[in-house]
This record gives sequence, C-alpha cells and structure tokens, in this order.
Amino acid sequence: MGTENPNRASYSQRPSTSPFFAAQTASPFSSSTPVAGAEASSFHSYNPIPSSQIPPSSSEASGFRSVQPGRSNDPAGPPPPPSYGPPQTGPFQHLSGPQFSSPVQVPSLRTSAGEWPVVAPPVRPPAGPFSSTPVSFQMRPQPPTIPFGSPPQSMNTVQPGMNVPLSSVDSPFGASSTNLQPSSPPMRAPFPAARGTLQSAFSGYPGQQYNIVPQAPPVNSVAFPPHQGGSVTPPPAVSGPYVGQQGGYVQSPPTTAPVGMYSRDRMQHPASLPPLGTAQGLVEDFSSLSLGSVPGSLDAGIDSKALPRPLDGDVEPKSFAEMYPMNCSSRYLRLSTCAIPNSQSLASRWHLPLGAVVCPLAEAPEREEVPIVNFVTTGIIRCRRCRTYVNPYVTFTDHGRKWRCNLCSLLNDVPGEYYAHLDASGRRIDLDQRPELTKGSVEFIAPAEYMLRPPMPPLYFFLIDVSVCAVRSGMLEVVAQTIKSCLDTLPGFPRTQIGFITFDSTVHFYNIKSSLTQPQMMVVSDLDDIFVPLPDDLLVNLSESRTVVDAFLDSLPSMFQENTNVESAFGPALKAAFMVMSQLGGKLLIFQNTLPSLGAGRLRLRGDDARVYGTEKEYTLRVPEDPFYKQMAADFSKFQIAVNIYAFSDKYTDVATLGTLAKYTGGQVYYYPNFVASIHKDKLRHELGRDLTRETAWEAVMRIRCGRGVRFTSYHGNFMLRSTDLMALPVLDCDKAYAMQLCLEETLLTTDTVYFQVALLYTSSSGERRIRVHNAAAPVVADVGELYRVADIGAVVSLLSRLAFEKSLSYKLEDARTSVQNRIVKALREYRNLHAVQHRLGGRMIYPESLKLLALYGLALCKSTPLRGGYADTQLDERCAAGYTMMALPVKKLLKLLYPNLIRLDEYLLKASFADESENIWKRLPLSAESLDSRGIYIYDDGFRFVLWFGRVLSPDIARSVLGEDYAVDYSRVCLTEQDNEMSRRLMRIIKKYRESDPSYYQPCHLVWQGEQPREGLYLLANLVEDQVGGTNSYADWLLQLHRQVQQNA
Amino acid sequence: MGDVWAWLLFFFIIIGVIVMVVFQLMCLADLEFDYINPYDSASRINKVILPEFITQGVLSLLFLLTGHWIMALLSIPYLYYNFTLYNRREHLIDVTEIFNMLNREKKKRLFKLGYLMLFLFMSLFWLIYSALEDDDHFA
Repeated sequence: MGTENPNRASYSQRPSTSPFFAAQTASPFSSSTPVAGAEASSFHSYNPIPSSQIPPSSSEASGFRSVQPGRSNDPAGPPPPPSYGPPQTGPFQHLSGPQFSSPVQVPSLRTSAGEWPVVAPPVRPPAGPFSSTPVSFQMRPQPPTIPFGSPPQSMNTVQPGMNVPLSSVDSPFGASSTNLQPSSPPMRAPFPAARGTLQSAFSGYPGQQYNIVPQAPPVNSVAFPPHQGGSVTPPPAVSGPYVGQQGGYVQSPPTTAPVGMYSRDRMQHPASLPPLGTAQGLVEDFSSLSLGSVPGSLDAGIDSKALPRPLDGDVEPKSFAEMYPMNCSSRYLRLSTCAIPNSQSLASRWHLPLGAVVCPLAEAPEREEVPIVNFVTTGIIRCRRCRTYVNPYVTFTDHGRKWRCNLCSLLNDVPGEYYAHLDASGRRIDLDQRPELTKGSVEFIAPAEYMLRPPMPPLYFFLIDVSVCAVRSGMLEVVAQTIKSCLDTLPGFPRTQIGFITFDSTVHFYNIKSSLTQPQMMVVSDLDDIFVPLPDDLLVNLSESRTVVDAFLDSLPSMFQENTNVESAFGPALKAAFMVMSQLGGKLLIFQNTLPSLGAGRLRLRGDDARVYGTEKEYTLRVPEDPFYKQMAADFSKFQIAVNIYAFSDKYTDVATLGTLAKYTGGQVYYYPNFVASIHKDKLRHELGRDLTRETAWEAVMRIRCGRGVRFTSYHGNFMLRSTDLMALPVLDCDKAYAMQLCLEETLLTTDTVYFQVALLYTSSSGERRIRVHNAAAPVVADVGELYRVADIGAVVSLLSRLAFEKSLSYKLEDARTSVQNRIVKALREYRNLHAVQHRLGGRMIYPESLKLLALYGLALCKSTPLRGGYADTQLDERCAAGYTMMALPVKKLLKLLYPNLIRLDEYLLKASFADESENIWKRLPLSAESLDSRGIYIYDDGFRFVLWFGRVLSPDIARSVLGEDYAVDYSRVCLTEQDNEMSRRLMRIIKKYRESDPSYYQPCHLVWQGEQPREGLYLLANLVEDQVGGTNSYADWLLQLHRQVQQNA
Repeated sequence: MGDVWAWLLFFFIIIGVIVMVVFQLMCLADLEFDYINPYDSASRINKVILPEFITQGVLSLLFLLTGHWIMALLSIPYLYYNFTLYNRREHLIDVTEIFNMLNREKKKRLFKLGYLMLFLFMSLFWLIYSALEDDDHFA
C-alpha cells in the first residue's frame, strides 16, 4: 500500500515526471511535435522571437529536472508510505515543490510531460529555428535544452499547433474521439497531444503515465519529424510503442504540411506563453472548441458533430483509483475533483461544488463484494480521538505496537490481540490476512456496544388507499398481488414482520394474528383522535402468520370492490401507522391515490396555478404546504421508520408535500400519473417488487470523516441530519446516493493528502449489526489547473443537480437554472483565465478535458424534468417527483437520466447474424432530431422508460414483424409483445437486456411513430436535449451563450 | 415618580426577552456541539418563541401607552420583523432542516440580542436618569 500513497502531492508529478525525465534527459526535443504543418509558415515569425523568454522556462525546467532524475529510475515508483519516509520524499517533494509553487501551471507540465516523452527523444538540436517547439520540450527535459533557448514565440507556436488542430477540426472533441482517422495528419498531430493530456488527466496519474513513459521516447521522434519537416531534421521516429498506446496519434505523425490554416491560427496565438511549461501544459491541459471567429455568430463554425458528448456513457476518472489503489471503488465514493485545494483562496477558484457523492451500498459485481471482518476478540480498532476506523492508510510504528491515525495523526496503541510484527519495510507481516488494512471497503461486524437495542427485524408496513379511485384504477389489485408474490422473498426470513392498514374516509386495521384463520378488520372512524385497536396484533411475524396474510391479500381487492368512498383520511392513517410501527421502526410503504381530504394533514388543491409561475411565490408550489408532514417525517426518522410513497392519482396529489415524508426518512417517491393497471401494471410490479426484495440496510446512520483542515458542511439527499454530520437513514439500499459538500477550515492545508472515511452503521436484514467503511485519499494540490484537470464530471453534475433542485425549492425555476449556468460560466472563465492570457485563444472556448461534458450536462440539467421550462412544460407533481428521485439517484443513473441513450435498432434487427448480440455494439447517438433517420427504429432509454421510435418510411415489413398485424393502428394502444419471428424475438431480447442492465426501475416501452403528435413530442422530442425545443437553447446555442458569458469580464 | 417605576418595569421585561433569546441561542449552540438532539432542541426553542414575541409586543405597547415615543419607535422594527415571520409561519424552527438553518438562525438571534442589549442600556439609562431627576425634584 505504501507505494502509492506517498506522494499525493507529488503524485501527479511523480509518475509523469519520473518517466519522462528519464527519457528526456537524454534528448531534448528537437521540435515540438505537434505542429507539423504549422512550422513552415509559422516558423519565420517564431524565429524572430528571441530567446528572451526561453530562459525562464529553462530555469524552471531545471528545477524540475534535478528532482526528476532521481525519480526516473524507478518508474514503479511506488512506494513510499503516505507518511513520506524521508528518503523517498526527498525527491518527490522537491518535485512537487517546484511544480506547485511555480506560477506556471504545474499541472500542465505534468501532463505535458506525458506528451513530451513522445517528443523528447533524441533530436534536440535544431532548436534554433524550431525554437518554438523545442522550448516547450525543454521545460521538461531540462536544463540542457534551455540553451537553445528558443524564444517564447516558439511556445506559441507550439500551442497553436495544439490548438490548431482542434480548431481546424472544428472541435477538439471530434478530434479526440476520432483521432483514429488517418486522413488528416496535421490534425492529428495536435491531437495526440491533446489526447495525451486528456488521458493523463483522466486516468490516474501514475498508472497512465508510467505506461506512457516508456513509449514516449519513440513517439516523440515521430511527432517531430513533421514539424521540423520544414526546418530541422527530425529525429527518427520510433513510433512503435507509442502508437500502440495512443493509437490515434501515432499515425498522425508527421505530415509536415503546414497548413495555411494552421499557420494562421498560430499567428493568432502569438507568443503568449513564455514559459514552456505553460505551453505544453496548455496543450495537454485543456481542450478547446472553436466557436467561430466572432462570438455570437453561430454559423461560424460550430460543427455539431464534433461537440463533446458522453456517448461512451459515464467515464470515471481512473486516476483516483490508480493513484491510491487502496481507495474504495468509485461505485461507493466519488469526489467532485480528485484533488483537494490547499488553501481557501484556491478553493474559491474552483467554482463548481467541492464535495463527494456517496453510495454506500452500491451493488458490487461478483467477486468484488465488500469483505466482512469480525473483530471478535479485539473489538473494533478505532482512533481514540477522532473515532476513525482502522484502514489501509494508517501506519504502524514502534515495531507494530502503535498505529498512527491517518485522519488526525494521533498515535494509538495496538491492542495485544491485534499486534503483529512489522517486516523490514514497515509493513505488518499479517497484512494479507487483514482485509481492513488492504482494502478500501470493508465491513465490520459490530459488537453490542454499537447497538442501542437489539437489531431490529426487517419490517414492512403497508398503508393502502382503498378509495374508489384506487380500486377503479386497478392499483389495489396489482399491489395486493405483488405483495403476495414477494412474501417469499422478503429479506430477513424468518424474522420479517409485516402489517397492513387501509384507509378511505375511515382507517381500517387488520388483525392478522397467527392464531386466526381469517384476518379481522377493525374500523376506526374517529379521525381527530385516532387510536390503535389491538396494538399487538397488527404487526406480526410473517412466517408465523403467513396463511392469514395470504388470505388477507387474496381478499383485499374484492373487499373494497364496491367501495364508493372518495375521501381520504390520509393524515390519521399515517398517524396510526406511526403508532403501530414506532416500537420497531421499519419501512412504511404508502399507496396513495386520492388527495388527503380528512383529518390532520388535509391538503388542498393548490393546483398548478399558471399565474404563480414567474413570480416570487412560485417556489411555494414546490414546498410542502402543511407542516404536519414535516413533523411526521421528523418523527418517523426518529423512530427509524422510512417512508416510500407510491402516488397514483390522475389528478393533483401534492407530491411536493407527500414527498417530504420520503425525503427526510431516507425513502423514495414513486409516481405513476394516470395509473391504469392494464398499462402500468408491469412497472408497478417490478418497482414494488424490487423495493420489497432488494438488499436493505435498516436503522442506519452514516458519517463521513475527513482529515484535519477540511470539513463537510452540507449534505444533500434523502435523509435527516441527526447531528451536524450524522445522517440518519432509517432504511438504505443500493439505489440511493448521498452528496455532500466540503469546505476548508484552515486557510492553508499543510498536509499533502486528505483522507476520507465513510462509515455506515446499519442492521442487515439478517439481523447483524454491521459497519461498512469506505476509505479514500486525495492529494492536496496548490494549483488551480490541477484541480480542474482531475475533476470528476459525474460527481460534479450530481452535486450540481442536487443543489439546483434545492434551489428551486426556495427560488424560481429560472433562478435555479441561472445558478447552474453561472457556476459553469465561472468555472470555465476561471479555467480560461489560466490559459487564455498567454495564448490569446480568441474565439475559442477552453475547458479542461475532464469537464468537457460540463456544458452539455448543464444544459441537460436545465432541461430536466424538475427544472425545465415553466408552468406548461411539466405537471407540478411530475416535476416534484422527478426532483425527489433525482435527489437520491446514484451518479451513473443520474447521468443516464440527463443524457439518455439513443440507439438505432433496425440495422441490428435486420442483421443476419446476432453473434455479437452480447457485445456492446450499441452505438449511442447524439440526442438530437438529426440523429433520427426516418427509415429506422430507435430506442431511447433514460433508465426510467424506453421510447421506441419508428421512422415514417420504415419498411412495413419490419413494423409488421415487430408489432404484429395491428402495426398500423394507434401506437398508444399497442403493447409490445413478442411475435413469432426472429426480428421480434431479437427486439424483445434487446429490451430485456437493457432492463436487466438497469434493474432499479422498470422501463415501460412507449411506441411512437414519427410525426405522431403530440405523443412524439411528449415522449421523445421534448427530451432530445441537444435540440431547441420550445424556447430552450440547442446545444450549439448554449455553448455560444456560455462562451459569450465566459468572455465577458474575462 | 411613576416614570421610575415604568422604567423599572421596562427594564425587567427587556431582561425577560433577553433571557428567552439567550435560551434559544444556547439550544442552538448545544445542538451544534451535539449535546442535544435536534428534536429536543427544536421543541425547546419553539416553546419559547411565541412567549418571546408576545413579551416583546407587550413591551412595545407599554412604551406606547406610557408615552415613550422614541422607545416605541425604536422597537417597531423588531416588532414588525416578528410579525412578518409569524405571518409567514416561519417563526418556528423546522426540525427537519434545523442543521441547514443553524447558522442563519444563530445569526438572527445574535442580532436580536444586540438590539435588546441596546434597549437594556437605554432603559437603564433612563431609569437612573429619571430616578436622579426625581431626587432633584425632592431636593
């Protein structure tokens, strides 16, 4: 373990640099590779520029180098323990020191390093003319190069090269994505660079960089040639290795051809970057998007195909994991940027939310389950002062008799039973038998001192609306059937407890004691002073009363068949359920169909009043109206009761108010507008079934600890805070994630790593008290660029969306959207200011590679159900339900919801062989109407529903074989069923596979025919986030708008 | 002579309001340091909020009735603030959001406390002043 950590500070540098240096030292770069084409034209201009600038760069470089050499040798470089042993640290620190301190963007250096390697090798000489390129290289390479001291301009050139390609290409992205294409050499050249950077940024530093390093040398040569082509002799290209890695780039090598365009570009970007480092950094560090020469003129050249899009799904930054292999998986914890700013002033320049998204019970694939550790004899080892659990990042000293807490650095004694000798390298000899010291995530079995009471049994309590609407819609029947079918699979057998209450204008209790053969119903009609008859027999052990429960569920639908009651005494029923459950806690599932109209908690039809929208009062529609529900939610949470709301009404049911019950108790809101059993049956069945049978943690509390100097200040999600940092989660499962923001408490962090530890204390369904611990470490950085470079777009978007939704609860929707936009603009502006000054990027939009999708997700967020439009765009209930859902969604699902998959199916259906069916042949398409070809079938999948879109001129044969004979009728009534032909079977198989890949929700399939309004618009067109729909921005417009704002006051 | 008694009365009423505000502050501070749970904290605070508002209202009314115009005027902002809070039903602490509101609630109460201190000193001043004046009178 020691290996990786040690250098958090240095981490970035370390990896990259060391390798590089090694390589580089030998050779200076002859020319900057990238720019092959440019050289010619640009050259002249550059040359003139004298060495003046160079010197500085060199000096810096030298500093670096010195350090590096040491390093280079051990690429493996791992090892030093986090604490930094003196020896190891030496080098690292040095490195880091310089980097950070140097005004120049350190990060970039690093990255550049990555690239450099490529360039570096042998040819260093020609510097004079090339100077531009060389310069950049030199930074890395070191002192030697300096001499040739190319002028600053060279720097510029370099940049341009980098940039240019992009620009020429239109969009960097396109380039990056497409890099493969051989055709445009010049382009590529730049790309590679860009890519390189990207990669480095993305993936963990160390891992990647290492890889790169070896290859680098050869590569460089390749790149160069082109460049120098004009002026100097390029080194031999040994691209071999390089190619392998970067694939795309490699090929590009050398086309020298300088392109007029490029040259021009370069010209534009004059010699801004004095320091080499920056130049290179630039290249690697950011991506840019040419938005046309004149900001504001749309056509100028946005190639919509080249805009960045998440067509590969969510790409998690790997750097984090690679840098700290003992961190828990990103399934469980994702930081919005995998580096912690070292000062408050630095943190204030990170304009996005700084924090983490935690999904403590995320489903782990086979073989990666969290190991369970039982400290029977020793008790759980924790730090005396900060109560941190023992974890892989603690260090053992004093021959293994003491351990130092990684969060608060307190020296703790190792209990006798836990003692183990240390080997020569300071590792415990029993390390391989101690998962808690090697794995980022472990689960401890908690002894009795972690229990306030005996572990509770899993408890499911159902509160079911039986008013006339519920019966008529068929909800009651489906619910009864589903519950019955799940009884065998409820977790926690044989301890599981169950109970029922139904309500209309009165509250009905059911005695389901095991000694009875038939359930007894008791009706309480005194709503003002509700009481519980037979308090002991309402909640029973499922296995003992199984026959009675079965009998009850069988008769439930018929019992109320003739019910004509339209009232709902929801409030009193809720109180009654609370009274029954308060002994044990558990999960309360509420099936609600009619707006509460009697007793406490009466709600009125405050309706979706169009006049309120756009006024200061608008938010009041989205917040709970009656404090009764908040109070109840607080009480529920106190007694370990979680509430899941299933709302079905076809009319307004005030989800905003009812949802607070779920929000503060760790529950969830399921909303089925216009529920009709025949259509929505499957969805309800699946989701209720999953809710009942998924692995669930009970009576949980969660806390996230972090090292000194940092503090979590606000928490976002469905839970209630029990103390400033303790989240009470009566029930928790794998489909819920929680977000938190942190701030720096000290103006300057002195440590080089910040550790985080998520601890979740819960009772498993089997009745075991457990503590699940996730550990993570993140380096402290002193550089803004670095902060942006290692950002995790998934976590950032998750936090942004939660903040935006919360904002919409106290401000107008418009304000919430504006705040999202402002944050994005500020972040981009900050980033731009890092680079633009030196590079004069003109009309180009700059963003860190890691955040290339920020703008798109921001746009998608503004168009998402909870935040979109105004009165007419979404039903209020739907908006609120979606908001509550969004507050609980794990990162991946949220990203999918924001930018759903759009996949073309007909080609696949027609293909003769389906050997590759299991393969990921699905190509996600940009979410815009342009992607839709009227000859095809497309599926749109946002994780909550599918929309099957049939083109207008789709061959009738296909339609018939997929839909059966009635394909021509109204699609809203067609149910997709399997027909007796290969094509249909294949389609069903695909759909099934999609569903299985995302089981949290059931995706009902909506069929839409092209041009069929309004369904097409409703289901699909309104959700194509890149299009301009009803007064919203299209993606290109949005980018332009952001860009314009970024440039203002820049 | 009556003036002295009136100022004395004001003085004690103000002290009463201060005590209630300080109590609320203490509850919030305890909550912040995790000495009590949010449920208890919220219910304790909520218990004294209305009494605080009423006492302050009575004080303002008394200022008015006894003809201390300036003091009455000075207490109007406070009264108005309480009144709008009450009207918007935002006067009570919301237990579910108490941690998110903690800082703002504390700040509000500190501000109130400062305001009340000002009142306290003014009433003390007037108390002494009127007592001395009475003395002079007799002398």
